[in-house]
Amino acid sequence: MVVEQFLNFGEWLPSAIFTFFLLTCALVVLGTFFGYLVAAFRHGPVEGFYVVAQTIGGAVPDVLGTSPRRIYAIAKLAAIEAIRRKVVIVTFILFGLALLLGGWFLNAGSDHPDRIYLNFVLWGTQLLALLTALLMTSFSLPDDIKNKTIYTVVTKPVRATEIVLGRIVGFAAVGTVLLAVMGLLSYLFVWRGLSHTHRVVGETQTLASLSDIDPTLRLNRYGQRVSDSAIKSGETTFDSGHRHMLELIEDIREKDSPPLDARNVVSKTELPDGRIRYERLIVEPFGGHSHSATIIGSGGPNAEIQIERAEGYFRARVPIYASSLQFYDAAGELKSEGINIGKEFAHRGYIDGGTSMNRNSLSKAEFVYENIGPQRFLDQDLLVLELDLGVFRTTKGEIEKRVLGSLQFESVPDNPEIDPIFRSERIVFETDEYNVQILPLKRKRPGEKLRPDGSVLEQREFDFFEDLAKNGKVKLILRCEDQNQYLGVARENIYFRATDSLYWWNFIKGYLGIWSQMLVMISLGVALSTFLSAPVTMIGIMVMLVLGFNTKFIKGLVSKDNVGGGPIESFYRIITQKNMEVELEPGLATMVLEQTDYFLVSMLGSLTNIAPNFSQLNFSDFLLYGYSVDVHRLAAALAVVAAFCIGLTVFGYFCFKTREIAK
Amino acid sequence: MSTSEVKPTKEAPRKLVQTNPDYDPNIVVETQNLSKIYRDFWGRQKVRALKALDLEVRKGEIFGLLGPNGSGKSTTIKLLLGLLFPTSGRALVFGKDATEVTKNERIGYLPEESYLYRYLTAEETLDFYGRLFNMPTKVRQERAKELIDRVGLTWAKRRQLREYSKGMVRRIGLAQALINDPELVLLDEPTSGLDPMGTREMKDLIIDLKRQGKTVIMCSHLLADVQDVCDRIAILYQGELKELGRVDSLLKVSEETQVRFTGVPQSAYDEIRTVIEKHGGSVKSLENPKTTLEELFLNIVRESQERPGHRSAGARGKD
Repeated sequence: MVVEQFLNFGEWLPSAIFTFFLLTCALVVLGTFFGYLVAAFRHGPVEGFYVVAQTIGGAVPDVLGTSPRRIYAIAKLAAIEAIRRKVVIVTFILFGLALLLGGWFLNAGSDHPDRIYLNFVLWGTQLLALLTALLMTSFSLPDDIKNKTIYTVVTKPVRATEIVLGRIVGFAAVGTVLLAVMGLLSYLFVWRGLSHTHRVVGETQTLASLSDIDPTLRLNRYGQRVSDSAIKSGETTFDSGHRHMLELIEDIREKDSPPLDARNVVSKTELPDGRIRYERLIVEPFGGHSHSATIIGSGGPNAEIQIERAEGYFRARVPIYASSLQFYDAAGELKSEGINIGKEFAHRGYIDGGTSMNRNSLSKAEFVYENIGPQRFLDQDLLVLELDLGVFRTTKGEIEKRVLGSLQFESVPDNPEIDPIFRSERIVFETDEYNVQILPLKRKRPGEKLRPDGSVLEQREFDFFEDLAKNGKVKLILRCEDQNQYLGVARENIYFRATDSLYWWNFIKGYLGIWSQMLVMISLGVALSTFLSAPVTMIGIMVMLVLGFNTKFIKGLVSKDNVGGGPIESFYRIITQKNMEVELEPGLATMVLEQTDYFLVSMLGSLTNIAPNFSQLNFSDFLLYGYSVDVHRLAAALAVVAAFCIGLTVFGYFCFKTREIAK
Repeated sequence: MSTSEVKPTKEAPRKLVQTNPDYDPNIVVETQNLSKIYRDFWGRQKVRALKALDLEVRKGEIFGLLGPNGSGKSTTIKLLLGLLFPTSGRALVFGKDATEVTKNERIGYLPEESYLYRYLTAEETLDFYGRLFNMPTKVRQERAKELIDRVGLTWAKRRQLREYSKGMVRRIGLAQALINDPELVLLDEPTSGLDPMGTREMKDLIIDLKRQGKTVIMCSHLLADVQDVCDRIAILYQGELKELGRVDSLLKVSEETQVRFTGVPQSAYDEIRTVIEKHGGSVKSLENPKTTLEELFLNIVRESQERPGHRSAGARGKD
């Protein structure tokens, strides 16, 4: 998943308000014009003008006379209607059945069972919530009008604003309760589905069940490669579709430095140089999770091993992305983008590791990070960097080794002409293009302090926060260290991992995304149902849904210079068997074709602005891939929802106000 | 008030006056040249439902709208309530344009069939409509309780309306129409679906409303009911006003005289006027006899069918 950088909400809001204002103006002008056409057709051109003026003028006292008590009354009625018509109950039953039966078919032993479980519940919730919103809203007002129950309502001092707003509020309340219950059930379902533990394979649940490792091949008795620090190895039982490898590792620490996890320490010995040697039992991660091991009793073969419940599934990672990324070519020249290696270019830019002709390539990618401070990291002594790199090989290289890359930190001085520059040593690492790599980095880094002219001032160990990122900014330089190979990155591919957000809060934020979509659907349904019948309202909402979920694609159609022209020109090319590249003969016919296409494409472009962009309100991927939904993005989504609710309420008000109820 | 003057049916342009500056508080409802044409989607004329109706309903009277199906009674009521927009002319209620929502504060409406939410209980129904009048909780609850008692549904107040009989729904419909203690009550076929007891109670209630100083406009097919309770009636036929006046005047037959007497043997009937006193009997009353409203109504309809477009002569000048 690529998390696209989102602007600060404060920066986003003014431009969003401006767009909203422009759209509102355009719609007001269009609506007034259309309203005048209808009124003029009914009452004549002069009278029509007065009718339109009266309708618009009448909105002011209606808005001023809007009463919260009446809105509440209509909201309550809408809620009771939704409940007593059993729409909600049927949704609950369907969801319950899906959860009951779904558990049988979800594969807990896959690479990422958490994603499978979450995808299932999120997709199910989204589908059912939107479907419920569709059914609740499309039938409510049209049925009221058809059954004439609306007669007893509009003959009371009820404003059209209250009828529209009350319905939106009522259905939103029902939908909120529905989503809250579904969210809670989903959380329990995922938690229960993923929660598991294992036992140790062997005659006893003790350290005696572990076996020795072949010191030369570094393989355990099951033929699996073990880590360099492993002393003994074992295996867990096969539960929930998988098993884990157990390793007794050697962990040498500085004097007085505690072990990483005290629970799994088997033995502790002091080395002659004063350092401490711990032997710890660790459970190797599998499928995105791991388990803690607890040693009960004193170390020795009879110490009992207890494997705790799975952990690591429920993460809400907070990535700190670079604010900028710049590429430099082999000659060290700044380029607007990385090397193009072909198909993948659109996302990642590549840097080279030099060639046999030019061994000292200066190619690099420079990331600049802002707002880096110790307060953003839980463990301030160990920074975590996560990398999702692409590798492009021109030779197969060394078969047992992966392509090497290096990282180097550099300070970004506020005043480059006066301030010294801190630069860390290069950290060389093996890349892994198939997984997200996690690089823990110590806070104290060896490096050098440079004068502004580039001469070395001193060489020692520097502090990441105090020296390198003192002003909150830090530069990270990525290089490819293997000749004839290429490393690919995009701005989002290397990020610092700040303290994780609370998972349950992230889960709620994910559901707030679905809630936002539902709210837009409800507003849309109520607004359309003020002047359309139930089936037509449903079709209208579905058209908007298709537009909303494919906004990006449609915008792409509109913005690109499509080879072969728009729909009309393409059709013309098909029937005349002209390929897409052939120039059409200049003339009136071609001009008409092109202008018609231009008009159609512009219309489509305008439609995408009116249709809600549902992908902007969808946070499911954040939950699936374990990223925290940032508050700015959430605030923007809620602002978009508010804008739609307001716009659609006004639209619904005028539609309802100008229709004859008893017709 | 002009009772029998009917203005020409030519459509006048619609005036966009919200309130009447010459508003007379004694005139609760006023229609001027009120016309309604139903059109199809393309704007083509389908039905001319109401033709230049001029009416005035005064405060405190019970006004009946009569007419066969499709005569425009319901259209008139819907125009007065703002459920329909007039094609031309205007309808004023309490001096305000009928499409103005604030006039509804003082109106109670019982529709032809009780269009109520079947999934609500009686209590919830009245609570809902009370809230629409922005009534505070306490007032709403008291009013709801009082009205449920008044229409005799206390025993069934917690049952959903879907379980109610037609008569019971009608009663709760009436209760919702009175929830705001309205000054003007519009009743569309108030006795339909009620048993004889219910009909009697409804009629008593209408008279009671009049006694409380309220204005009632009702339309009904049941002529006897209208005759029993209405002060004045308007008879519509094919969208045109055919008759308008006081019920007692309209039903008076001026060419004939009715003598009511008692104690006279059957054999003396042929010599009534000359012989009554000769036989020593006493004259109880001596006045013009009245036809029934049903007879009048049928006469007007028959005459209108024979001479379309003409105002009925049957009862002119009897105001």
